[in-house]
This record gives sequence, structure tokens and C-alpha cells, in this order.
Amino acid sequence: MPDEPDKVRTDRAGGVITGYGIGSAVLGLLSVAAIVLGLMIWSGHRNQTDELGYQTSAMQAAADWTNVLINMSADTVDSSLRTLHDGTVGQLNADFESTVEPFKQLVLKLKSQTVGQVDSVSIESLHHPQPGEPGAPSQQPELSTVASRTDTVLVVATSRSQNAGGAQPQPVRWNLRLGVSDVDGKLLISRLETVR
Amino acid sequence: MRNALRVLAFDVLAPLAAIAGLVYVGLALDWPTWWVSVCSVLCLLIVQGVIVDFVLYRRDGVTVGTDDEGPVLRLVVVGLAAVALAVAVAVGYTRWTVPDRTMNADVTEVVGIASSVAEASATFTPQDPNASIDRAAGLMTPQRADAYRKEFAAVARELASKNVAGQASTISAGVEAIGPAAASVAVVMRGTQNAPGKPPDVAVLALRVALSKDGGKWLVVDVTPINAR
Repeated sequence: MPDEPDKVRTDRAGGVITGYGIGSAVLGLLSVAAIVLGLMIWSGHRNQTDELGYQTSAMQAAADWTNVLINMSADTVDSSLRTLHDGTVGQLNADFESTVEPFKQLVLKLKSQTVGQVDSVSIESLHHPQPGEPGAPSQQPELSTVASRTDTVLVVATSRSQNAGGAQPQPVRWNLRLGVSDVDGKLLISRLETVR
Repeated sequence: MRNALRVLAFDVLAPLAAIAGLVYVGLALDWPTWWVSVCSVLCLLIVQGVIVDFVLYRRDGVTVGTDDEGPVLRLVVVGLAAVALAVAVAVGYTRWTVPDRTMNADVTEVVGIASSVAEASATFTPQDPNASIDRAAGLMTPQRADAYRKEFAAVARELASKNVAGQASTISAGVEAIGPAAASVAVVMRGTQNAPGKPPDVAVLALRVALSKDGGKWLVVDVTPINAR
């Protein structure tokens, strides 16, 4: 490498200068094109990585929320419900009391000691709305103003209630579809649907 | 002005582009040890070349970019930078773009297969007991298909003798985890069983379908209920 400049100086290029010049220009353009392509590839990959990271955190948020829901006990029901309410947004936040009232009544009535476990969490990518069923309250117009995106997370969980009566613990299966919304970087639950 | 542009292009941007290309390759390969060493050697050579170029400029008042008598070296410099960038693009494409696209396509494919198998495994017609078994087995690995046929042959006979019919439709399905060669899909579906003289029995079933990719094709390895305990 150090010798090259001198060596080249003795190579009288003469009339082919334009040929080399054109070659350099073509390679230069090629390099510019390669830089643009490289940046596109890189940003595409970064988007994909961000998307996967977001999906993971959405699944985590849904799992955490469900965990509180299925582990409610008679003496912790109020604090659990407060935690749950704080994690909601949109329609579910507005209608929170009426939506979770059945859950609350059940827990209070049974005076049960519930131990629940999330079995499966996934980002829903296939959904067939069932005929003859109200289905999901699909679009929430007021939600789209605060949330940048909403994904549906499918959560399957099992909970066992140790009833006060000492009866055989009855496993309860939960098949939940949760809407997870991104509100200013915070992941909140905007929809709760039990698949029956 | 012309000289300034030539210095910028050949003496500054070309080496920087080459180094950027080498670093890009490193990022795409996730810095394996061998590339760390190759990349540092090559980057050192480039820096050395730039230093030599600068020293010779102090001596001769001419650089690689402004030397009218050295067009070949200019071509070589630009050529090396172009090669480094082209390699970077090629490596980035194969290491990032291709796997990303494959994965996105796999998610759709895997969920479709899992949903079909789950539905087929809960579907049964007494008139044609083997139809849905064959349909499900067709999407399974050979070993699993054999086991599945054996398991369900007895059940099928029993259901056929009682004239029980079953249908299932997927309500919702999602990928729990996916890698290049294995995936796990959760399927929630509604199964209906019709026995003569009885009201239809409707149940929501949650199944976990495990798949593996074999020779470019996704096949079902296992189907298990999610909440079995």
C-alpha cells in the first residue's frame, strides 16, 4: 500500500484517463446505491425487531393483568380491582365496574381462595367472529385518539378456587381476548372478552 | 473547487464508506470473533492507507484524489469501497431481510395449519369416520400421523357406533412462540357434538399445536389441550 502512489505516478495513464474516470464514477454511483439499500435493509430490520419487542411487551402486559384477575381472593378483591382498573383504558376503563362486577360478586360470594395460572399467551393473528354472537365491541373511536395502536392478545388461563366450604377445588378455564393498547408508551388493557 | 470535491470523494468518503461497509457486515453477522479480527485488520489497513496518503500529500502536494496521473489507483480505491458496501448489502439482506420475511410468512402459515389441524381433530362425521382423521394426519409429521391414527381409530369406531357427529370452528388463534424451525400455536375453538336424541353439546377448547419445519414445510408435531391440569 505505501508504495502504490509512487508506482502509479510512473504509470502514465495517458489517453485512458476518461475510461478510468468513468469507471470510478460508475463504482461511485454503485456505492451510493449500496448505501441507500443498506440503510433500507437496516431500518427494515430495526422495525421488525421493534415490532417483536413490542409484541413481547404487549403479551407481558396482558399476562400480568390476567394474573391479577384470576388470582383475586375475597380479602384482596378491592386492591386487586384497583390494580386492574389502573391498567385499563378506553371502553373497558369507562365500563370497568359493570364489566368486572360478575367476577367480583363471584369472588365475594364464594369467599374463595383462588390460585390462577396463565397457561398460554399469544398475539392473536386469526380470528373468526362467531355467528349469532354480539362479538367484540370492535372499534372504539375514542380509543384511537389516545392509543397509537391496539393489538389483541389471546390468553388461556386456569384458576382453582379453594372454596370456603372445603369442596373439591373446581378448575375454572379462562379463554380471554384482551385488547392491549399503547397509550404514550404505556400498555393498557382496552378490551376484555371472554370466549364462551 | 474541483480538487476539493476529489479530495472529499476519494480521500475522505471512499475510506469511510469502506469502513462503514465492514462495520455493517459486523452488525449483520452479530460480530463473530473471526469477523472482529478480519474487520480490525482491514480497518487498520484502510487507516494506514489514509495516513500514507496524507503523508505523501505533505511531501508531494498531491493526494490520491487529486493526482491526475494516478487514475488507476482512484479506480482501485473506489472499487474497494464499492466492494465493501456491496458485500455489506448482500450480508445484510441475507442475514436480516430474508429471515424477517420468512418469519412473517411463517406466522401466517403456521397459524393456518394449526387451526386446520385443531378443527380436524375435533370434527367427526359418522358416515365418513376417516375423512377428518386423514385431513389432520396429512398435516402432521409421519411419526405423529401414525400415532394419531392409532389413537383415534378406537375413538372413531366408538363415536361412529353411537352416531355422534362433531364439528369445530376456530374462534381465535395466535402464535405463542416461533423460531426458524419450530413453533407453538394456541388455538381456541368451539366444538359442537351432536348425538342423536340429545341437545348439542358445545364446549370451548383451547389447544396448543406444536409444529416443526422440515424441508421448508411446516408439519404438526403435537396437539395438546392447553389447560389439562
